[in-house]
Amino acid sequence: MSRNGTTPPEGYDVSRENMLDFQIPEQFRTINDQDDKNFILTTVDEVFNWAKLSSIWPVTFGLACCAIEMMATSATRYDMDRFGAGAFRATPRQADLMIVSGTVTGKMATRLKLIYEQMPEPKWVIAMGSCAIGGGPYFKYGYHVVKGVDLMVPVDVYVPGCPPRPEVLLDGLMRLQDKIRGREGKFKAPKWIQDYAKKIPYRK
Amino acid sequence: MEMKAIYDLLAEHLGAGALGFMDEGIEAHADIDPARIVDAATFLRDDERLLFNQLMCLSGIDWDGYDENGKGKSVAILGYSDEGQPETSDRVAEGDFGVAYHLYSHSLKHKFTLRVRVPRDVAKLPSVTGVWSTAGWHEREAWDMLGIRFEGHPDLRRMLLDEDWEGHPLRKDYQMPAMYGIVPMDGKPLNKNPFSPDEIAKPPVREEQPPAPDDAPTEGE
Repeated sequence: MSRNGTTPPEGYDVSRENMLDFQIPEQFRTINDQDDKNFILTTVDEVFNWAKLSSIWPVTFGLACCAIEMMATSATRYDMDRFGAGAFRATPRQADLMIVSGTVTGKMATRLKLIYEQMPEPKWVIAMGSCAIGGGPYFKYGYHVVKGVDLMVPVDVYVPGCPPRPEVLLDGLMRLQDKIRGREGKFKAPKWIQDYAKKIPYRK
Repeated sequence: MEMKAIYDLLAEHLGAGALGFMDEGIEAHADIDPARIVDAATFLRDDERLLFNQLMCLSGIDWDGYDENGKGKSVAILGYSDEGQPETSDRVAEGDFGVAYHLYSHSLKHKFTLRVRVPRDVAKLPSVTGVWSTAGWHEREAWDMLGIRFEGHPDLRRMLLDEDWEGHPLRKDYQMPAMYGIVPMDGKPLNKNPFSPDEIAKPPVREEQPPAPDDAPTEGE
């Protein structure tokens, strides 16, 4: 007799499973016999980092013409949601990432810092475009432009361009994912880019 | 109607307030007395032969470095140095301020340009918001950028910059700010170019690997 008083069906081995109210299905019994092959060993950090980098939600924060490219990146053709970063939140309290896409004026810089401080930890910042990196064309006579958003908030990834193409922003996003994963990024400039860069006159 | 004919009508109305008509240069324009600007604007809007019902644009002008005829060389405008520090100078700008009014008549389809000139130390003139209400924002912008005060404006605040901004940036002797509140407005020098030949020629620096954990299997076991 089984535990709940019902009569077991014919051929049921009560001596082995009399502590259970149900019969284990056949396919699960087979798996239970191979317990040693059903584990994935990992660390908590690895799992958490994987979860973080797979759902980076940016805050809706477009400043200038780079924001047009950012919108194009999140639209269908480039589809930033493939990397889990397509859910632009309308409030910084639900966001993980701030893409500073455009010229940061002195008037906007205080607002930008406020939005950054409203974001919950962990949070990241991508400086997109020349203006957000270092003032860009407004460096010389831009009385109103902050010469780089890293003077206001810490920046994780710099995405150069004026404005950057969507591929470059996607690459910056993947570099940020490398950073969250805790591994070194795999980017290295191709040889033709390095050779071309040697010809660029650089002001000391 | 031609501009010269419009100016003749205006000069007939203003009398001594009309200072001249210039047909040379990029655009023909009429100079008038700044004290009579509201009178002239009302005449231009309401006269049946003119009917200028739209103020297309109102621009402030800084004539520092130019003589009375608009000739002269441009003065050096202060910016930031290559290191990102604001450049300073003791030069005080001279020359008058001006305001240009670009008018258009939708019914008669003709244009006209007015110009007034005010001295730099007394940079104020009557507002034309009572004539064309669209002048409100334009005059706020001229006040914001050049510091020209418009008497009789209903709400003369800064247009683009914050209320606590110091100075008027489009003046020729404006000095770039180093700080705005808590915001640093000066830059930092770019210390190295990662693509410069010196940097590329360097051998790659391999960072030290973190030590292996203790329970890692060693070779030979």
